[in-house]
Amino acid sequence: MKTRQTGAPALRLVVAGFAFFALFLPAPVPAQQATGVGSDPEHTLPLTWDRWLDHAEIGQRMQLMERTWPEFLSLQSLGDSYGGREMWLMTINNPETGPELSKAGMFIEANVHGNEIQGAEVSLYTIWYLMENYGRIDEITRLVDERVFYVLPSVNPDGRDYFLHGAGSGARTGHIPVDSDGDGLMDEDGPDDLNGNGVIEQIRKHVPGQGNLRISQEDPRVLEPVGIGETGDWIILGSEGVDNDGDGRVNEDPIGGYDPNRNYASDWQPNYIQGGSMDYPFQLPEARAINDFLMTRPNIAGFQSFHNSGGMILRGPGMAWYGDYPAQDVGVYDELGETGERMLPYYNYLVIWRGLYTVHGGSIDWTNDGLGIVSFSNELWNGGQYFGSPLLQEQQTNAEGPISGRQGTLFFDDFLEFGDEYVEWAPFDHPDFGPVEMGGYKKLQGRVNPRFMSMELFHRNMAFTLYHADEMPKPRIGETSVEAVGGGVYRVRVDFVNDKVIPTITVKGQQNHVVRPDLITVQGAEVIAAGWVPNKHRPGPTDMIDQEQLGRIMVRSGLAGHETRTLEYLIRGSGSVTVRYDAVKGGVAETTIQLR
Amino acid sequence: MSLTRWKQRRSLALWVSAILLAVSAPDVLGQTNAYLDFDGLTAELRAVTSASNSASLSSIGTTLGGRDIWLVEIANPSGGPTSERPALLVVGNLEGDHLVGSSHALEIVRHLLSGSADARSVLDDQVVYVLPRLNPDAAEVMFSAVRSGQAGNSRPFDDDNDGRVDEDGPEDLNGDGAITVMRVPDSRGAYMIDPDETRLMKQADAKKGETGAFTLYWEGVDSDDDGFIAEDWPGGVDINRNFQHDYPYYGHLAGPHMTSEAESRALMDFMISHRNIGAILAFGQSDNLVTPPNSSGALADESVLDLGQFASASNGDLFDVGVFSRSGGGGFGFGGFGGGGGLRGAQPGRDNDPNSGRRPATSVDKADLEYFTAVSDAYKEITGIERVGVNRKAEGAFFQYGYFQFGVPSFSTQGWALPEPDSTDASSGDESTDARVLKGLEGAGIDAFAPWTSFSHPDLGDVEIGGFLPYVTENPPASDLSDLGRRHGEFVVRLAGMLPRVRFVETEVTAHGGGVFTVEAEIENAGYFPTSLEHGVVSRAVQPTTVQIQVDPADVISGGTKTMQIRQLAGSGTRERFTWVIRGRSGATVEIRARAQKGGTDSVTITLR
Repeated sequence: MKTRQTGAPALRLVVAGFAFFALFLPAPVPAQQATGVGSDPEHTLPLTWDRWLDHAEIGQRMQLMERTWPEFLSLQSLGDSYGGREMWLMTINNPETGPELSKAGMFIEANVHGNEIQGAEVSLYTIWYLMENYGRIDEITRLVDERVFYVLPSVNPDGRDYFLHGAGSGARTGHIPVDSDGDGLMDEDGPDDLNGNGVIEQIRKHVPGQGNLRISQEDPRVLEPVGIGETGDWIILGSEGVDNDGDGRVNEDPIGGYDPNRNYASDWQPNYIQGGSMDYPFQLPEARAINDFLMTRPNIAGFQSFHNSGGMILRGPGMAWYGDYPAQDVGVYDELGETGERMLPYYNYLVIWRGLYTVHGGSIDWTNDGLGIVSFSNELWNGGQYFGSPLLQEQQTNAEGPISGRQGTLFFDDFLEFGDEYVEWAPFDHPDFGPVEMGGYKKLQGRVNPRFMSMELFHRNMAFTLYHADEMPKPRIGETSVEAVGGGVYRVRVDFVNDKVIPTITVKGQQNHVVRPDLITVQGAEVIAAGWVPNKHRPGPTDMIDQEQLGRIMVRSGLAGHETRTLEYLIRGSGSVTVRYDAVKGGVAETTIQLR
Repeated sequence: MSLTRWKQRRSLALWVSAILLAVSAPDVLGQTNAYLDFDGLTAELRAVTSASNSASLSSIGTTLGGRDIWLVEIANPSGGPTSERPALLVVGNLEGDHLVGSSHALEIVRHLLSGSADARSVLDDQVVYVLPRLNPDAAEVMFSAVRSGQAGNSRPFDDDNDGRVDEDGPEDLNGDGAITVMRVPDSRGAYMIDPDETRLMKQADAKKGETGAFTLYWEGVDSDDDGFIAEDWPGGVDINRNFQHDYPYYGHLAGPHMTSEAESRALMDFMISHRNIGAILAFGQSDNLVTPPNSSGALADESVLDLGQFASASNGDLFDVGVFSRSGGGGFGFGGFGGGGGLRGAQPGRDNDPNSGRRPATSVDKADLEYFTAVSDAYKEITGIERVGVNRKAEGAFFQYGYFQFGVPSFSTQGWALPEPDSTDASSGDESTDARVLKGLEGAGIDAFAPWTSFSHPDLGDVEIGGFLPYVTENPPASDLSDLGRRHGEFVVRLAGMLPRVRFVETEVTAHGGGVFTVEAEIENAGYFPTSLEHGVVSRAVQPTTVQIQVDPADVISGGTKTMQIRQLAGSGTRERFTWVIRGRSGATVEIRARAQKGGTDSVTITLR
């Protein structure tokens, strides 16, 4: 068609019209060049990203993506959650560039706390974005070709559905019944939606002159604490609910009652030290299914666990007692984390115990210590993003102004969400408390970002995990040289290079002996001696390698980030030899050298 | 000697072993006079439990080797549900080479079912759970042609992390059916012959003018040509190193992580579904019964045999091979990155205090010490065991979990005494564990030590092979089993009798007119142990004792709430009184229930008048 456009102007118009129609004919236009009526390419799989998906919808969306891109995607369930929901995991691998285990793997999980939902959508968005842009954006194409991605959008599908389908209260936990009040019964007295409006509200009671709260002058919806020595007219009686088990107490044993992210096997501590850890590591079917999978994928070198909220890029350790990671590992985390801070406005790169709180038995402590995987946990969404400009943030510091403190949250709800996240206080006759009022925020307010701000949150966090994935180790062969020293003996030098930030074996992984050592093998000739060359540009001795099998050198310390190492062999042989660097995390690099 | 020759010898020995087993078929009615392999133990358990209506046999799990982990539940079936009765748990053979534990467990079952009056009284009110052999795969090695003393289960594990699994185990080079150690003359060696007992070795002390002349190895060859001998044995994980208290992370035989094994998970799942367990007796190689925790709540120091430690030390630098310093150019060397030296991942001024946060208890609570002492006294009195041979450090041991995390009185014993040496043989105060153990065993006529014999080793040249025989320092002679087992049965009866037992002893109703009544009820703990140890309270592992009046909460008009809880009630007849003021109809009956997680349940019905 292009050749015909060289005709007269009048003809060109006609042709343009024809070309417009031709776009709707599938055959002549290669898919990746397809353009819509505007300038942007159409999506292969048009999906919307402005609503929260329940477990069934997540499964449907993953199945749809697998059907759309079957050459790259394979969907599996790691097993059932306690409540019988699939633990969907998508593997993204281009088989044309090698099997899964030959490439470093990036594991992305989310939603281990049932109420921390948006990480699942970030995960789904990541799969979708990689597939939509494979073949279109060179860097994405390269990433998909060089790496493997394992994406588990919801670690706690029971909690997710409980949060999304129900009133939303107490959804952090998993759903194994736990006797939270020590009466021998389990989960027998949780909150109740007494007025049937789908929200677990707060209960407040009017007690003139006997309370500790008063109604704010600025906004009657706000209850504020009274000053010291003063009395207020209101008290809060807790969350909406009744005494279900007739023991005289309200809401004292809700569903579950543990923390699914304290059940991992590094620094696991019993309940009285770490609340909600359960009785032993990997007791929870969900944590166990994930670990069983991780154990079969030693190629995994990067791990991200999405949580909410606060705007953090967290790394371990979760607690201070045993000291920080080895200095070289800290250097790796610092470079990744500080780059992340520049990619994610309002997010801080923090050590868990230092910047958040102490966590014993969390997932990323285990993946770092027990599996040698460089691991982050992003706390999605920072409240600073409600009023995301220096000018507005200055205004927020004015306590009298309309957007400071609690009023600011209500302002945002009034003006940006049209009151969608708030329930007005209304009278209610409570069976245990008598006349009270119930009201307050709905479940999505606070920790979950407003829907209209999702795209940016999804994309920036995905971009950070893709950067993390790209910096996983990838050994390659650099310069090589051969020099005959006589008697059929050759001095062969090979550079092994890791251009990435992350080493093939972290120091922690080496110390705990949890990553198989890298292996450097020689085939085709006899190795007489081998040694590291401290600086190949300066003549001098080599550091001899004292191992029994120089044709299979074991490198427990791996190849560091941004490192080039030169190995010198004395080899007896003829023809060619093949030297191979084999890292469990990062794959194999190989070269064949002619002995001459 | 070549490997092929060794294999021939092993197959010959297998025949001998099979013949021996056939001869010593299980004696169903009699008592144990031999160590039993899995099939033998299974047959005994089946026979004993099927002959009684107070015992049942089931499996709580299966090992990688396909063997059942047997559970015997013993209780008088006529009575309350066993799940609500105070329970004693007995566990044996967590360590693969500690078979005396399973033998004692079997004898305990026999004793409890013997029909004696004291045993019957236990079974009426209580329940005893017996898990005789937690590590059956490893235990089976004792009956194989080559007895190696393997402690770990059958999980394939790359002990030396070289990418090859279980590739360099020990070999019985001299064909005596036992894995012992090799001593090799070596001018750079660290060890010398002990002048006081020339069969034993000691570390040479240069400060005393001593020169090392030997290196020691486990018996075997370098099967994978990596320069190390017997550094990656078959298996596995020692189940008594796989639990959550003081877990030896990434340590030898500890597994990839806590509770990683089918055996340990089966036991944990059993624990959490049997929270009525109020005391634990575990047979193992760590002791807190002969020597109870000291006044600081600490266990006795470990005492292990040097000879094995010296042999293991030959592989001490295993993980150093292949660790190279970073290259000079680039990389994350010191100062190689960023270089600012400032603390990243922090919020200056807002960081949390690194010393904040509670730490887990590591010693027995002072308030609980006397219970341990009292039980220790009873143990020594009943069993006569006062002297311990080897005593392993209790890292990751199950009985430690039992106290520190499950929150109940929890005990461990080797189950036998190291024989006293001849009293005329004055021993010096500073003799080594090796000398003490050897003297004790040989003094009692036990063949404990394979004499050093010359051997021409393919890698090392002329060596001598000898040392402590496997199993002998961990297990008593089979002839002692029946007597020792019976005495442990008696001890178990005593221990079960100490479990807390909560019951109502008194009630009182006062009518105030107008349908208002004061109701009082008093409970008593008739056992010896409190309803919860102090650490059970501290660790929140033991639920409070609950007393509940069965009326509508709205009818409780003053005094206590409908449900009242106390954190613990001491034993030996200690009482506690509960008072409610309720509204009710005169002449109506009201039930009051008591429930102690470790002390049973009771209920009483009063009439309002």
